[in-house]
Amino acid sequence: MLHEVHDPASLVESNRVHKSVYTNSAIFDLEMERIFRKAWIYAGHESQIRKAGDYVTVRVGKEPVILVRDRGGEIHAFINRCPHKGAKIVGEGCGNTGPLFRCPYHAWTFKHDGSLNGIPHRHGYQGVGVDLKSAEFSMPSVARLESYRGFIFVNLSATGPDLSEFLGGIKSSIDNFCDRSPEGKVEVAGGVFRVMQRSNWKIFFENLNDTAHAQPTHESSYAAARQTVKKKLDGKTPFELHIIEGNGEPNSFWESLELRGYDNGHSYMGAIFKAPQDDTFKTYKEQLDDVYGVERADEILSINRHNTIIYPSCSPHTSFQQLRVIRPISVDRTLVEFYTFRLKGTSKEFWHRTLTYTNVVNSPSSTVMVDDVDLYARCQEGMLAAGNDWISQHRRAGFEQEEGDSRVADGISEFPMRNQFKAWKAYMAD
Amino acid sequence: MDKTINIDQTDNGQLQHEIEQFLYHEARLLDNRKWQDWNDLFAEDGHYWVPSTEDQENPLDQVSLFYENAVLRDVRMRRLEHQHAWSQLPPTRTARILGNVIVESGDAQDQVKVHSTFHLTEWRKGVELKVFGGAYVHDLVRADGGWKIRQKRVNLINSDAVHDPLEIFI
Repeated sequence: MLHEVHDPASLVESNRVHKSVYTNSAIFDLEMERIFRKAWIYAGHESQIRKAGDYVTVRVGKEPVILVRDRGGEIHAFINRCPHKGAKIVGEGCGNTGPLFRCPYHAWTFKHDGSLNGIPHRHGYQGVGVDLKSAEFSMPSVARLESYRGFIFVNLSATGPDLSEFLGGIKSSIDNFCDRSPEGKVEVAGGVFRVMQRSNWKIFFENLNDTAHAQPTHESSYAAARQTVKKKLDGKTPFELHIIEGNGEPNSFWESLELRGYDNGHSYMGAIFKAPQDDTFKTYKEQLDDVYGVERADEILSINRHNTIIYPSCSPHTSFQQLRVIRPISVDRTLVEFYTFRLKGTSKEFWHRTLTYTNVVNSPSSTVMVDDVDLYARCQEGMLAAGNDWISQHRRAGFEQEEGDSRVADGISEFPMRNQFKAWKAYMAD
Repeated sequence: MDKTINIDQTDNGQLQHEIEQFLYHEARLLDNRKWQDWNDLFAEDGHYWVPSTEDQENPLDQVSLFYENAVLRDVRMRRLEHQHAWSQLPPTRTARILGNVIVESGDAQDQVKVHSTFHLTEWRKGVELKVFGGAYVHDLVRADGGWKIRQKRVNLINSDAVHDPLEIFI
């Protein structure tokens, strides 16, 4: 190999990255150690575990983690592994464990904070030189857990910035996500989609703010939608087709979009799709006006963003209530989970529109997503070929402007990718 | 999974035959990428629905793998045949078998609910062979001397699995 893994920082230059960062499994293993054990990783939303004993399993880097709510309402996170023989205490998914977790293998039981509660044949542990109260007899805990407006993040490292400092200015996307509800709250609802991408996790992150791919990649779906509008709908574009055909906007549109990045690899891009100004929207707007006042309601709705990136674990779409969660599985496999959120206090019609967006854009059957996923796999395969060892990220390099705690670039800049790799390099350097 | 097995199965051999032929014809159209002919089998307000979980009660309050009216089916059909549908170069091939056809005989003569089981093999060059299995539930209505699909529900046995992209009508 050209570059030894002991110097991963040398694989990232300011405007290009070495292709091995996408293809070398030793680098993937190092990422799991140096990025996914140091960064704050999105774990779940408080609405997924409402009652005492409710739990949900999540993958954090390489670790299988359980999130659970205790009887006092507090949320805990620990590794889904019995300290005895190592069996996973609960299967993948969600449920309610009752007052205790109980390992199915030898019936060791654990409290909601992961600490040991009871062991059968307890007398067998007397006089054998062990302390059952020590950490090695409890489920391994996750170093830190913090929540921001209901969004729960965990950190496998006890040191480093707190969640608020880690998120920095990108908190504005989570704020807008919640502020769009007349109650200021959102909840996970309507089920989840899971799609396996045959490509490296970073390829997906880069694509999320890659305005230049939309028109060529998605030609088949936007052209099809436009034909349908012309031939079947007398030129009228319903919402479910608008969110397909919008990818066919001309170059000038993409150039005009705002790209804004923050520290730690976070960024967002300006909106592509607009919510239709119909009766459902009018009712919703009236609700916001009542609660917030017209001026504040207008301000909330004026913040219109397409994909936000919270590097390296998730991507909210704030104006259509979507959350994509990115779980790297191996160097060339990435699991993406698609959650839909309901804005609390809004109408059934509003909720149905949100679900329409999920079905059309984020379902495994999406006519839009399928070409993305195919091209990610082509990149993954193509990068294994010899030659052209560096991947260019030069477009509009150096033209971004500092604005407070953020940097702003014009719509066709590859700044979000450079921003991600700046964070990547910092994590991987030590 | 069908939790309420209705044993009120038709004993009308002619009807059974007619419905089976309709389903075989539909399967053949899909396996031969005759999208427009397939779409024409639907009633005007007909829906094609693949729930995201085995117990999904309706397509409105929960996400669905597919929930497509005539407009969305039209977009999918056109996309599959578009010269720049990157994931269809080369195109996906499918072959399906369906059996265990049960026609529920209701009081109304002009509509039936049909249960069947299917096995679908899918292949595209460069990707491994994929297999899907599950049950179809067709709500059919009589029209123009034949039958039209009011709803085709596809219960994939792995509906809530991690999926690769699904691009072909199942």
